[in-house]
Amino acid sequence: MHYESPVREPLVLGNKTYHDITLDVVRPVESTAPKAWWIAFSIALALFLWGVGAILWTIANGIGSWGLNKTVGWAWDITNFVWWVGIGHAGTLISAVLLLFRQKWRMSINRSAEAMTIFSVIQAGLFPVIHMGRVWVAYFVLPIPNQFGSLWVNFNSPLLWDVFALSTYLSVSTVFWYVGLIPDFAMIRDRAINPIQKHVYRILAFGWGGKAKHWQRFEEVSLVLAGLATPLVLSVHTIVSMDFATSVIPGWHTTIFPPYFVAGAIFSGFAMVQTLLIIVRKLFKMEDYITIQHIEMMNIIIMVTGSIVGVAYITELFIAYYSGVEYEQYAFLNRATGPYWWAYWSMMTCNVFSPQFMWSKKLRTNLVFTFIISIVVNIGMWFERFVIIVTSLHRDYLPSSWAMFSPTSIDIAFYMGTIGFFFVLFLLYARTFPVIAQAELKTILKSSGESQKKHHTEDDHAHH
Amino acid sequence: MASEKKYWKGFDELGNTPVAQKLAQNEFAEELPVEAILGDGAVLESANTSRRDFLKFVGFSTAAATLAACENPIVESIPYVVKPEAITPGIPNYYATSYVDGQDFASVLIKTREGRPIKVEPGDKGFFNSGTTARAQASVLSLYDSARLSGPVKGEEASDWKKVEAALKSAVEKSKAEGKTFTLLTSSVFSPSTKGVIERMRGAYANFNHVQWDAASVSQKLDVWEALTGNRALPFYDLASAKVIVSIGEDFLGAGMAQQMASDYAVGRKPGAGMSRHYQFESNLSMTGSNADQRVKVKASEYGAALAYLYNQVSGASVRVGALSADAKKVLDRAAKDLVAHKGASVVFSGGNIGANEHLAAAINAALSNIGTTVQAGKSVYVAQGNDRSLSNLAADLKAGRVGALVVWGANPAYAAPGFAELIKKATFSLALTDRLDETAALCTYAAPVPHYLESWNDYTPVAGHYAVAQPTIAPLFDSKPAQEVLMSLLGDSTSYKDVVRNSISARGLSVNAILHDGGVQLSDGASGAGSGAAAKALAGASVAAEEAAKAATGEWEVVFYQKAVGAGFQSNNPWLHELPDPISRVTWDNYVTISAADALKLGVENTSESNGAINGSYLTLTVNGTTLERVPAWIQPGQAAGTLGLALGYGRTKVGKVADNVGVNAYSLMKGGSAYAVAKVSLAEEEHQFASVQLGNTMMGRKIVNETTLATFLADSTGKSWNEKAEFHTLQGTVNANDANLWPDHDHKTMHMWNMSIDLNSCIGCGACVVACHIENNVPVVGKDEVRRFRDMHWLRIDRYYSSDTSHESAEADGVGVMAKYAAMEVPSASPEVVFQPVMCQHCNHAPCETVCPVAATTHSQEGLNHMTYNRCIGTRYCANNCPYKVRRFNWFNYMKNDKFSSVNPSQDDLGRMVLNPDVTVRSRGVMEKCSFCIQRIQYAKLEAKKKGEPMEAGAFTTACAQACSTGAMSFGDVNNAKSAVAAVKQDPRAYHLLEEVGTQPSVFYQTKVRNQA
Repeated sequence: MHYESPVREPLVLGNKTYHDITLDVVRPVESTAPKAWWIAFSIALALFLWGVGAILWTIANGIGSWGLNKTVGWAWDITNFVWWVGIGHAGTLISAVLLLFRQKWRMSINRSAEAMTIFSVIQAGLFPVIHMGRVWVAYFVLPIPNQFGSLWVNFNSPLLWDVFALSTYLSVSTVFWYVGLIPDFAMIRDRAINPIQKHVYRILAFGWGGKAKHWQRFEEVSLVLAGLATPLVLSVHTIVSMDFATSVIPGWHTTIFPPYFVAGAIFSGFAMVQTLLIIVRKLFKMEDYITIQHIEMMNIIIMVTGSIVGVAYITELFIAYYSGVEYEQYAFLNRATGPYWWAYWSMMTCNVFSPQFMWSKKLRTNLVFTFIISIVVNIGMWFERFVIIVTSLHRDYLPSSWAMFSPTSIDIAFYMGTIGFFFVLFLLYARTFPVIAQAELKTILKSSGESQKKHHTEDDHAHH
Repeated sequence: MASEKKYWKGFDELGNTPVAQKLAQNEFAEELPVEAILGDGAVLESANTSRRDFLKFVGFSTAAATLAACENPIVESIPYVVKPEAITPGIPNYYATSYVDGQDFASVLIKTREGRPIKVEPGDKGFFNSGTTARAQASVLSLYDSARLSGPVKGEEASDWKKVEAALKSAVEKSKAEGKTFTLLTSSVFSPSTKGVIERMRGAYANFNHVQWDAASVSQKLDVWEALTGNRALPFYDLASAKVIVSIGEDFLGAGMAQQMASDYAVGRKPGAGMSRHYQFESNLSMTGSNADQRVKVKASEYGAALAYLYNQVSGASVRVGALSADAKKVLDRAAKDLVAHKGASVVFSGGNIGANEHLAAAINAALSNIGTTVQAGKSVYVAQGNDRSLSNLAADLKAGRVGALVVWGANPAYAAPGFAELIKKATFSLALTDRLDETAALCTYAAPVPHYLESWNDYTPVAGHYAVAQPTIAPLFDSKPAQEVLMSLLGDSTSYKDVVRNSISARGLSVNAILHDGGVQLSDGASGAGSGAAAKALAGASVAAEEAAKAATGEWEVVFYQKAVGAGFQSNNPWLHELPDPISRVTWDNYVTISAADALKLGVENTSESNGAINGSYLTLTVNGTTLERVPAWIQPGQAAGTLGLALGYGRTKVGKVADNVGVNAYSLMKGGSAYAVAKVSLAEEEHQFASVQLGNTMMGRKIVNETTLATFLADSTGKSWNEKAEFHTLQGTVNANDANLWPDHDHKTMHMWNMSIDLNSCIGCGACVVACHIENNVPVVGKDEVRRFRDMHWLRIDRYYSSDTSHESAEADGVGVMAKYAAMEVPSASPEVVFQPVMCQHCNHAPCETVCPVAATTHSQEGLNHMTYNRCIGTRYCANNCPYKVRRFNWFNYMKNDKFSSVNPSQDDLGRMVLNPDVTVRSRGVMEKCSFCIQRIQYAKLEAKKKGEPMEAGAFTTACAQACSTGAMSFGDVNNAKSAVAAVKQDPRAYHLLEEVGTQPSVFYQTKVRNQA
């Protein structure tokens, strides 16, 4: 067992035993759903169905039911896509990168963060598929041998890279998440009384026996998958950013995009984790596991990545000025002062200014404030993508083709639908899955539990 | 030879052995052991395939076969049982004929495929009016208009020709008996054969009366020339030899001219020492004014004063000059100096239907010795012959109940002559010979269909010396009858009009076959002595005319009428013409008053933009002499003279068809007796109008999009270095041209053809004929007003129009204007802008940004420098369109062929309208991207023709639809690897440049710098 310095804050508060952890984690699964859950679920389901309607309408009538035009060929569709992909970044970062860096504080939040990742990547994936004019031939983007002759995909296209990046990310994240779930499913299985429930969890637990060999394999697979997932954290959003960076459109054609997008993605991902976990810890009474320290750590990450994003914005402006390219200069001037100035300044306020409050310890340990900022950040990040996509496109090279964009009700419904879909999945997850990686958490209880640490300290004193 | 070979299955067959013979008898080489299987119950019992399985398989295969059959329905195409001579499926036939739509004349070629006319092309014999305007191009669709009248009707009820002719006969006889008139009302008639028929009517009926009247009238001008030359016809203007052109209010390049002047105008506009100089003084910013070197805003009521002033300046006379601004005088002085320096090689036009002004213009031309040179008074243009007085006489006759029988043919007075609608009913009997149940036909006792010009025989004398014919290119689609035959039936003559025309040709000693092949014949150069005394008469009457001109009505607001692509309104139901953006305002599907920004402020008129960019405008109420026109949308127009409002004719029809009913307002209601302008009272009305403009950015924002220079600079530097700077990059290898600074390997551009297009911005006048031609050639869908308003027009080729701004990078720097204020100011067009037109289609980049980003390789590069689009492969991500710096790619947002939203606008939604589709071009499905293909079907056709001949393709063997339609020769297309091609030569021109060259796209389209000949 690791020895942990008494200076470090405990990661599990209260006087917890292993059994307490089990009970705390399994409580939402074994109890019946409270009214609040049903209300939330109904709202989410309604939103989801609204979105399904919008998707069906789009497929039946055409992309013309959106607000796009000959100049602005992408708007809410790709904005939402990038937004959801960005949100999907924190999960893998927390579970994989922090695992490699042996950041133990990740253990109580990685499960939900990863669930969020997977659910948001599913939402993200919907947009590039539905935004196709001919969605029924969407399989053309896959490099499968086909009967149409020697047709092959275009490996030069960043959109094709997206296909690979996203599908890899989704599959690796899912596997990684699932592997971590196995011992926890086994725990639920072992406790289950209802035969159906027991049967389902038995299947889900993959015959986990808790033997030493199982644990050894579990650790190894986790490490390997973490190693696989870590580059993906960087690659996915790098590739998404290349959709824009490799183009010739002023405001898109920017080499700073990959790091800037990755930072932005982590920024928005952590904000979404905050939003969700602040609710989860409250509803499921998990304040002892998801502690203020967790919140604070994540706020620091938000502050740092927010500042990186801010530096990137300013760099873009500087480069536009310094490059001497009139189209580039105009593109950025137009962003800040043109017809979409309000989107630009919403983005600036939400993403650059608001995280600066986190320099104050008082504020970053304040739950209500954190919750508000976490939502503000995601609004800001939505605007960032909107600004990049729409304001660059709507006024590019030839003023004769300049246009404007305004969403239709179908655009709005589709977006709201994905939010609904996301929460449908998350709420179902919260009631059926162990929301904390309890098996992993138990490994640090002895070293990082509050009462255990206190105990150690007393022991230490006794020995000396 | 090759088919003589025989193959054997083996030696047995070769030797024809008994075994082989026996085997040949049997279908199956071995007996099938049917009995052995089915007869043995035990075997059957133990078989793996049970009866149930068998039924399952049957069921599955049936279901699978059924599902597999759920493909697109198969449309049977039936081959010819007896193939008509000269029709080979897949091969077009061309017929030379004359395009006449009641307003225009053009010598054209009609392309037919499998018996269907599908395209109007310019005539190839160099006859009078051989160019095709947008309207002529679009006219083929009017043939397939489902709103056409399909048979004679009496009121609402169907009738037949026998009844119509009998009723007409009795009505005419009755009118004769009652001492009432028998009146034929037509638009201008310049067909000798038709005139012959009309003369026979005159001979047979003493009470016969023929009234010629044109909706967009030039009657007063005709009066002047009739007085000067004795011929009721306009003179022929030779712009090709005019070095100085001064137009006071005349939109001589625009719609609605009897003589097409664009090609001659372009001759003089070639940059060089002899380039012509063009001054324009006008109220509305016309297309002609946009092309002028110097344009001055003048109120319509001051046109006369401007002409009188100019007359004094050039002749030294001192006729009366009305009120005129100092600005106008200053430029008129300059113009006068130029005119005097180019005596005999200059021309002065007067705009609008104003007799006194036309006389003054004639006097100026006379004083400049232009009459006989550039103004060929002896060579008459007969296309416009209408007489407003005879229409008012007819109105008086109708009012007095003196008209016994009224036949209205090819005219629509109920729509275009205010007050006429109530009068038609006063005729005892009325018959409309019409193409549709229009405003007039609906009021007549009988209405009966006449054939479309593409279904008709006729002959014409559009200009002295030119004899043109029209021949049908398709059998009549409906139960129509030529009007001439209807008239002849009164005389009991049942000769077909076809024979009348053929006899008329033969009677002239011409070969019918030869003339039908050519579409006409040039009998002489048309010059006659009729114009000899014209100059003297013009000079003599100048001072009287000036007195008359000085009396021009004036007021706070002058509504100045003009014409757009739909012209006088004969083809108002043609969706292609509505979808074609106005060359100046870029507004589609509308007419409106154009108003200057200052006046708009004064009246409280606003043009605002919705969140999706769509523009809304205030409504105005116009009142002229007690007639009020409500809900007239107002469009703020740079270059509009203060105190004037422009209003286009041809809109606001109520009975023309589903496309254009109630589109726009009827300007004729304010127009009295074909007047050029009307003094009006104007007030702001409630509510907002929704415009559909395709262009939001009106200025070039200081970018080098249209490269422009002055003639002096151009002449001073023949290399172009100072006025046509090339984009350069400073690299490690030194300074390189933008086209050579590459990330990608270059394509091979030498081995195969290399298709390039040159667009001369000096020759392009912005008329839009190319846009319509492209629309037709490539089956581009019409999307209607609502979609255009959402910036979803589908034009593969557009003509961008930019205004100059008062602010430039240089002026802002000099004035110390901040960067934000500078860009904001640069967006605002000048109040008196210089205008440039730039046709933009797919630039066929050789390093195409669209090609790299398509995930499925649906857009790819050809070895001939083309950027291909594979519709079948396209999945519709629109990434290519986003990444196109020229924004030329168009996405199929809807299924325009089926979606109900487009049923009233897209002609392809009904069976008749679909007949116009070009069978060589795929109709695109929903969800795919499309764009200019450089008319790949034409390239392919020409390549196959060359291959069949076994010869290399000749330079100029074919051209694209746009280049073909361009009457000024602004577009030149061809293979730059063929040194003989025109495009190879102009590629080396110092004026040539690529659009957005610095992006490094290496376009296959290049532009020629615009040169203005400013004083």
